[in-house]
Amino acid sequence: MAFSVVLQKAFLLALLSLRAYQNEVFDEPIQLVPEVQNVSTSSKPQQVNLQWTVPNLAHHQELKMMLQIEISRIKTSNVIQVVNYTTTVKWNQVMHWNWKPDIPLECVKYFLRIRGMVDDDKFLLQSSWSNWSSWQEAHIPVSLEPNTVLVFPEDPLVEEGSNITICSVYGRNQHNVSCYLQEKPIPGEQLDSHVSIFNLNNVVFFRDTGTNFFCNSIDTKLEDGIVLFVSKVLEEPKNFSCETQDFKTLNCIWEPGVDTALAWKQQPPQNYTLFESFSGRRKLCNKSSCDWQITDDSQEIYNFTLIAKNYLRTRSVSVSFHLTHRVYLKAPHNVSLEIINTTKAHMTWKVHSRGNDYTLLCQIELLCEKEVIHEHNVSVHMSGDYLFNDLDPDTEYKASVRCADATHFWKWSNWAEKTFSTPEAAPSEALDVWRIVRSKNGSRIVTLFWKPLSKSRANGKILFYNIVAENQDKPAKSKHCSIPAPASDTQLTLDQSSYKLHITANNSVGMSPETILVLSRESGNQEVVEKRINGTKDGFLISWEPRSRDVISYIVDWCAHSQNQLCDLQWKNLGPNTTSTIISSDAFKPGVRYNFRIFEIPVQGPVYLVEKQTGYTQELAPLESPEVLTSNLTSHSFTLSWQGYASQFQAGFIQGYRVYLKSKEMHCHSGWDKVLLSDNSVCCNYDIKDPKQKIFTVENLRPESDYEFSVRSYTSVGENQNATFMMVTTPDEHSHMLLKTMLPMSLCVLLIMVVCYWKSQWVKETCYPDIPNPSKSSILSPIKYMQNPHLTIMNVKDCIPDVLEVINKAEGTKTLYTGAGKLHAENVTKLPPVPTEKDSCGPVPCIFFENFTYDQLAFDSDSHGHVPGPLKDILCQLGPLTPPKNLLNVLGNSNMKSLTGSPTEETSLIYVSQLASPTCGDKDSLTTNLPRPVHCSEYKMQMAVPPSLASPALSKNSDLSSMILLGKGEP
Amino acid sequence: MKVLAAGVVPLLLVLHWKHGAASPLPITPVNATCATRHPCHGNLMNQIKNQLAQLNGSANALFISYYTAQGEPFPNNLDKLCGPNMTDFPPFHANGTEKAKLVELYRLVAYLGASLGNVTRDQKILNPNALSLHSKLNATTDTMRGLLSNVLCRLCNKYHVGHVDVTYGPDTAGKDAFQKKKLGCQLLGTYKQVISLVAQAF
Repeated sequence: MAFSVVLQKAFLLALLSLRAYQNEVFDEPIQLVPEVQNVSTSSKPQQVNLQWTVPNLAHHQELKMMLQIEISRIKTSNVIQVVNYTTTVKWNQVMHWNWKPDIPLECVKYFLRIRGMVDDDKFLLQSSWSNWSSWQEAHIPVSLEPNTVLVFPEDPLVEEGSNITICSVYGRNQHNVSCYLQEKPIPGEQLDSHVSIFNLNNVVFFRDTGTNFFCNSIDTKLEDGIVLFVSKVLEEPKNFSCETQDFKTLNCIWEPGVDTALAWKQQPPQNYTLFESFSGRRKLCNKSSCDWQITDDSQEIYNFTLIAKNYLRTRSVSVSFHLTHRVYLKAPHNVSLEIINTTKAHMTWKVHSRGNDYTLLCQIELLCEKEVIHEHNVSVHMSGDYLFNDLDPDTEYKASVRCADATHFWKWSNWAEKTFSTPEAAPSEALDVWRIVRSKNGSRIVTLFWKPLSKSRANGKILFYNIVAENQDKPAKSKHCSIPAPASDTQLTLDQSSYKLHITANNSVGMSPETILVLSRESGNQEVVEKRINGTKDGFLISWEPRSRDVISYIVDWCAHSQNQLCDLQWKNLGPNTTSTIISSDAFKPGVRYNFRIFEIPVQGPVYLVEKQTGYTQELAPLESPEVLTSNLTSHSFTLSWQGYASQFQAGFIQGYRVYLKSKEMHCHSGWDKVLLSDNSVCCNYDIKDPKQKIFTVENLRPESDYEFSVRSYTSVGENQNATFMMVTTPDEHSHMLLKTMLPMSLCVLLIMVVCYWKSQWVKETCYPDIPNPSKSSILSPIKYMQNPHLTIMNVKDCIPDVLEVINKAEGTKTLYTGAGKLHAENVTKLPPVPTEKDSCGPVPCIFFENFTYDQLAFDSDSHGHVPGPLKDILCQLGPLTPPKNLLNVLGNSNMKSLTGSPTEETSLIYVSQLASPTCGDKDSLTTNLPRPVHCSEYKMQMAVPPSLASPALSKNSDLSSMILLGKGEP
Repeated sequence: MKVLAAGVVPLLLVLHWKHGAASPLPITPVNATCATRHPCHGNLMNQIKNQLAQLNGSANALFISYYTAQGEPFPNNLDKLCGPNMTDFPPFHANGTEKAKLVELYRLVAYLGASLGNVTRDQKILNPNALSLHSKLNATTDTMRGLLSNVLCRLCNKYHVGHVDVTYGPDTAGKDAFQKKKLGCQLLGTYKQVISLVAQAF
């Protein structure tokens, strides 16, 4: 091998010596002139390919040469670029060089030439540039018609942010060509009469389907265009890393960045290739990860290069590592937990390790309710274990473990988790208990309250609460009760003995330490003065004076809902040396009064009430107005009272009341102030500054006057705004006197009237009987005797009858009428029997004689139902009746005359029918049922009555008529 | 083998209405045997009229969808880029006999069907996300396929014309992207105008 090298160098030296000799002969340096074999062009992509050789090389000779290529545009003298590059040339080998033109080859012609110079260490002699090769033309000819506009290059692909030159070629008839990118006009530069170029700098990505660029000729309206495809810039892969879990496969991952794919297959998505330099292996990967198989177990160091590539750019990133430094262990397995007792648990696990020689670091976490409460690291080889201490009973935990290589930490494995629960234990803390004691019917009602134990103290589910009331005086009378959870209070009824209460909480395992409350005979609720305190939004500062030194604790209690029936007792247990505390609660509301009691729990003796304090977190104006009652209303005063107003339940401490009074005269007396109300009305105001005074007398009023009043309570913040005015009217000054005299008088008159009415019959019969009975009349007798001592009994013969009433009476019937008055059958003239109502269809159904009463009132009233029609109608109606002769005579004289005349002309008298039967006495029946026989069976007596007496005593006419009938019926 | 791929395959594609074919159908005698692959529907002329009305009704929407999907400058340069100035478009004479009109309609629809196939193919590459346009192109192509079948049936049944010489537009496979867009736009612009006349003629 060494020999051949030496031989080759010797051959070269000989050859070059020979050339040197020749040059010396010809006085020229040695030149190796490249010879252009071919110049080819491509439109897509725009490219010029130069093929050249060095013809003068010796057989199998290789030389390192520096090449220089000169490029001209349009004409050879217009050199636009000179490119230098170095390459190794070989004998009989065609060399290639590619160049991308800036202006498309379809638009301009390029000219290229090349020269070379030996740049090889083996070539000992001085070298110089060779002569230029001949100019070679590079151009893509296009068929250009006179009326043509063409745009180049076709569908170019460029990277975002780069520059590109687009050219337009047009025929000789086209002069005014404009080009646009999308809609944006692009200024052009005219290269010659048929070519314009358009430089697009810093092109932007518009869409993956490309951007239209088009040119048109304004003269001929011809157009052409291209679609410019702008690719996003390929990004370098980020966070490239490789790791192994099993020493068989390396998993490499990275963040690929933006996708540079374009539509129309202009550019597919970038591809990723993984190359390992030591092994020389290469693998095509997917977009963001690659699995690399470890084929050689002896290889410990890896040098990876990740290459990202698209049509326009290549990016790469490398990473080199030792395999054992990139171990990402699998999560531990076979995790188990052994519960030792209520506070201890033992965890064991196994790891995926390469053997005992490898030390792993494992991290252990203990979580309770999603919070890490314990963390510890241990070193393991193949398996590990750990003991959890100080656990809480009856609690669910989650134990987690993960591991990593302890020597070369790379990454923690995933967590392996196991959930477990500790068993229950007896409650560890005594209950916080407080009580309310009330006396009722000689017994004590003790309400016990306790706060549920916290979960950490309950050590399990509390099932019930045990309460033992130990009677200190009579141990046999002790009580025991069990209250099921989740109750937090209970009520005991105890006698007046001293008691010791033992309260415990119980779960399934055991009971808590007991809480002891002592109830002595004394109530402990001593009367103390209530002190007012000012709270803030943060709460109340309660302070008190200690009473004695032998104190176990102080308790402050209050009701969370002081205005409701439900007190919701709250209390705070404080140490023996405490004399103040801040009571704060989210339940405190502005405008609500809270009452605090401070109790002292002595070592010996009963609970002692130290202080009472009351206050508001924030005082407000009263929300409720007093309900005012008025009393003692006189013509000059009235009294207001609002005794039921609960000032302790108002939104602030009531400082007093304001009485507002409105009147027409608007004169305010002494002690009253004139104020202007919010509604701009003026009234008098009296301020009652004593909040305990709930009665007030308004004086100095005027009689028979209207007053409006309102009573409003007020606090330090202001007065109640919801109060309304009420009206009161003072009475007349003498009205009460009138009332005092008139009322008894009225009662007396009324009493007399009642008595008179009650005894009216007796008076009448006594004083004015219907049929005066000389033997009975005791009152008139003396008068009559005085007037006519000879006439004692009225003679019937002297009477002239003016009205005759025929009574249709059945045989044996003694009573004709049973109205209010009394009609005696013995006084009625007996007539032949007439048919009864049932056989009223006979030719002589009944006998009807109308009798009339002269009644002016009845005449005046249209509503009188017994005003008959003309008498002749009635006579016609009577038909074949043959009345007694004397009766017709009577009718034919004065009475007939009156009836046939107009009723209106007879203003002094009217005939009033007193026939009560609906079939013959009703006016309508008379007019509409004329052909029918009248079913009357009674004859009503009628009489002439003075107008003044007619109306009120109509019911008694029957009595009177009986008297008249007897007068002239039988001459 | 190359001959087979270049000649026979496009011919088969045309016969089976596949996209991408653009070679003219061989001319056959008018009195050749009339044979259709499927039985003809009874009321053919009504069907033809309805299909023409359907195409006429959707042509403008297809045109708008097309030039919108191409992006600027197409929507604002319709007269320059999408003008109906296609020279090889089959003629149609509305005042001819029904037979003549049917023959011309057959040529027209054959031409349009093949060209729309090319446009559909190109647009699926150039504008892969323009799904609405793809849908309209497919629907139009399908309707044209049915129309061509009906016209052929009518010609066969009534006029005993089994074969009609047809021509096709230039294949756009070798064109650059802008030319494909432009040719497609010109085709649809022309189609919109012609189909309106044809629909009125029947």
